[in-house]
Amino acid sequence: MSLTDRIAKGLEAGWKVTDASTLTDNQTHEADVVIIGTGAGGGTTAEILARAGLSVILVEEGRLYYQKDFKMDELTAYASLYQEGMSRVTKDGAIAILQGRCVGGSTTVNWTSSFRTPEPTLSYWADNFGLENLRPEAMKPWFDGREERHTVSPWLTDPNVNNDILRQGCDKLGYSWNVIPRNVKGCWNLGYCGVGCPTNAKQGALTTTIPGALDNEARLFHGLRADKLVMKQDRIDHLVASAMSADTVTPSGVKVHLKARHFVVAASAIGSPGLLLRSDIPDPHHRIGKRSFIHPVNATVARMPEKVDPFYGAPQSIYSDEFNFREGVDGPAGYKLEVPPLHPAMSSGVVPGHGEEQRDNLKQLPWMQSVIALLRDGFHPDSPGGTVSLRDDGSPVLDYPVTDYLWDGLRRAFHTMAEIQFAAGAEQVRLMHLDSPWFNSWSEARAAIDELPMELHRVRLFTAHQMGGCGMGENPQQSVVNGFGEHHHVSNLSIHDASIFPTSIGANPQLSVYALAARNSTRLAGKLKG
Amino acid sequence: MSHLPHDQESPSTIDRRSFLRAGLGGTLFLGTVSVTAGLSGCATAPAGRLDAADTPVDEGYRFQFLTRDDIELFQALLPAIVGPALMEEPEPRRQAIAGTIERIDQGIVQFGPANQQELRKLFDLLNFGLTRVTVARVWSSWPNATTAEVDAFLERWRTSGIGLLNNGYIALTKISNVAFYGHPQHWHLSGYPGPPPWAMQALPQFNNA
Ligand SMILES: Cc1cc2nc3c(=O)[nH]c(=O)nc-3n(C[C@H](O)[C@H](O)[C@H](O)COP(=O)(O)OP(=O)(O)OC[C@H]3O[C@@H](n4cnc5c(N)ncnc54)[C@H](O)[C@@H]3O)c2cc1C
Repeated sequence: MSLTDRIAKGLEAGWKVTDASTLTDNQTHEADVVIIGTGAGGGTTAEILARAGLSVILVEEGRLYYQKDFKMDELTAYASLYQEGMSRVTKDGAIAILQGRCVGGSTTVNWTSSFRTPEPTLSYWADNFGLENLRPEAMKPWFDGREERHTVSPWLTDPNVNNDILRQGCDKLGYSWNVIPRNVKGCWNLGYCGVGCPTNAKQGALTTTIPGALDNEARLFHGLRADKLVMKQDRIDHLVASAMSADTVTPSGVKVHLKARHFVVAASAIGSPGLLLRSDIPDPHHRIGKRSFIHPVNATVARMPEKVDPFYGAPQSIYSDEFNFREGVDGPAGYKLEVPPLHPAMSSGVVPGHGEEQRDNLKQLPWMQSVIALLRDGFHPDSPGGTVSLRDDGSPVLDYPVTDYLWDGLRRAFHTMAEIQFAAGAEQVRLMHLDSPWFNSWSEARAAIDELPMELHRVRLFTAHQMGGCGMGENPQQSVVNGFGEHHHVSNLSIHDASIFPTSIGANPQLSVYALAARNSTRLAGKLKG
Repeated sequence: MSHLPHDQESPSTIDRRSFLRAGLGGTLFLGTVSVTAGLSGCATAPAGRLDAADTPVDEGYRFQFLTRDDIELFQALLPAIVGPALMEEPEPRRQAIAGTIERIDQGIVQFGPANQQELRKLFDLLNFGLTRVTVARVWSSWPNATTAEVDAFLERWRTSGIGLLNNGYIALTKISNVAFYGHPQHWHLSGYPGPPPWAMQALPQFNNA
């Protein structure tokens, strides 16, 4: 087991890293390329461009946290590593949005599941958005390459009980299941991926591509928020960014101007469309912010006869795609089944309730098991996604209407999840729904699920997968960037993150972001060097 | 709306329901309350450091978001939200509530300006007498409200057919539950033993602390 901390070592060795909260004067810097966001897309881009010999500046709104800060504590992690201190929600407050805000972006807090973009999704993109050269055969080498870079392989250790129950339930019912590939190296199987990997085992951007870029002379400003891209004629001239103060939420007043030949936006879904909207980037067909997707997630919890200890062990290791593409790619909403880790703060926020009932619910945490369904949104006319717009203060917000098409999928998913948990031996099951009691049997649950109102707020909904809002496509009337992430109207602007997906993925998105960013950055490096 | 509210509506509250449904977005409605609350003498500035005589919270802590009124509000809410999980002895109980209110304040500071504004509206609505009575239907001021009254209020918002009120219920209980059950001192209540000791012993970030 290796405890070498790449970040601590690099900082000592003189990496060019600036904590913007320490800046006292306005300033201007210049590079070949400025990259906004340091997550899956930004990190990949930075490493590839820096290795190609281009000068790179990375801009990250969150702060640089690394091993010394990762103490397996929920409250500090949620406050420091997540967007809006873990309070991000959709515009009407009905869907909780989990998203990273720190160097490494969401990869610093994600659960390490690493799936290739499903082939039906890539084919759907080719057929419907003109993305012919993203067909599965063409993308294969990029997935191969990124799996190697991020040390992705199926998790061969036994799943924890939480995941094993999903496996057992599927087995009993004859539903398919499989082992999840994870991006880890020497993982201790602790269970704290969501609060910053304490052992540096997770091979997210923070331990791979960010160090790779900084080793190659890239400069990183953290605690620096990109406010506005400023155009001069038909090109972007510079980025205006605000230094945040040490409290991480208030701008200190110091402005940083960053000039470059090319700008890569990788502030992710919600963040990237937000930046483009603030910057009045040419958008003749009003596409920016539209078709934002989230893999809407609903959940059930079960009380098992034996201890589950759902807070320990690799958080995700088993999944089922039985219902994901079963009805065709564009039929009734399909869903992927997975398991979430359950720690006390997260559970007390996710399980709705108060008073005695809540105390009694949470008392059972060691015996609790949970299944989540991730709905594949964006593949059907009745699933057009949400819209990112700007609040008065310029911050982005996602409005996500849940259509009847999605409610139908969510109800079916509730059925499946409860059925699986009872099949695996659950004593009781309840839905994450304001009106759900604990059900004692599958037949009781089945009847009740048909009756429970599928309504905003009553059904507790979540997302950890923000996608779209700057969708790619060959037709500029329907998309923001082309199949290489190049903006249709501004020649020195590219977008390299999850915001370019024209639909949701139908699988956890990080490897899709890594692979597309690698492909598009390799092309961009060639262009800028040429 | 297919789901009817379970709560018993008194005739006088019917108009607020039609008012809420009359296309006046929740934000606009709450925004109006916020302005009114400010004009009518509700505390609108963060409480800062409170002296011990004033309130049972720790005088060493400097509140950055919660006002004196908000603190009173949570002193009334927490016994209903997390109270049954609390010890009975007055002093530890007082400390647990005070500590939870501080963590709620710390948490909200990290929420950033936009969500802070949303919470400001919600808290103002609850603190401002007129809306406390008409929308929350709590007749006593918060310091005088019994735990049973507060529990009934929470139940009304939870079971209401109005999404905005459900949302208020979720917001209040979520920040309270997370700040309470997420704290190491209360982990035992959910049977969570904490991070594995063997790992903490082996990891440098704990030895350097
Ligand atoms: C709790 C959780 C668990 C997850 N689990 C998995 C999983 O197991 N497998 C999987 O594949 N995916 C998972 N995901 C999702 C996955 O991590 C993301 O889909 C992926 O990281 C998206 O990459 P990205 O480059 O688009 O954005 P991100 O990785 O989120 O990076 C975007 C960065 O841009 C920064 N930024 C935003 N706005 C600005 C601005 N104005 N100025 C400067 N910087 C800005 C953000 O702070 C952030 O750091 C999970 C996510 C979460 C939150």
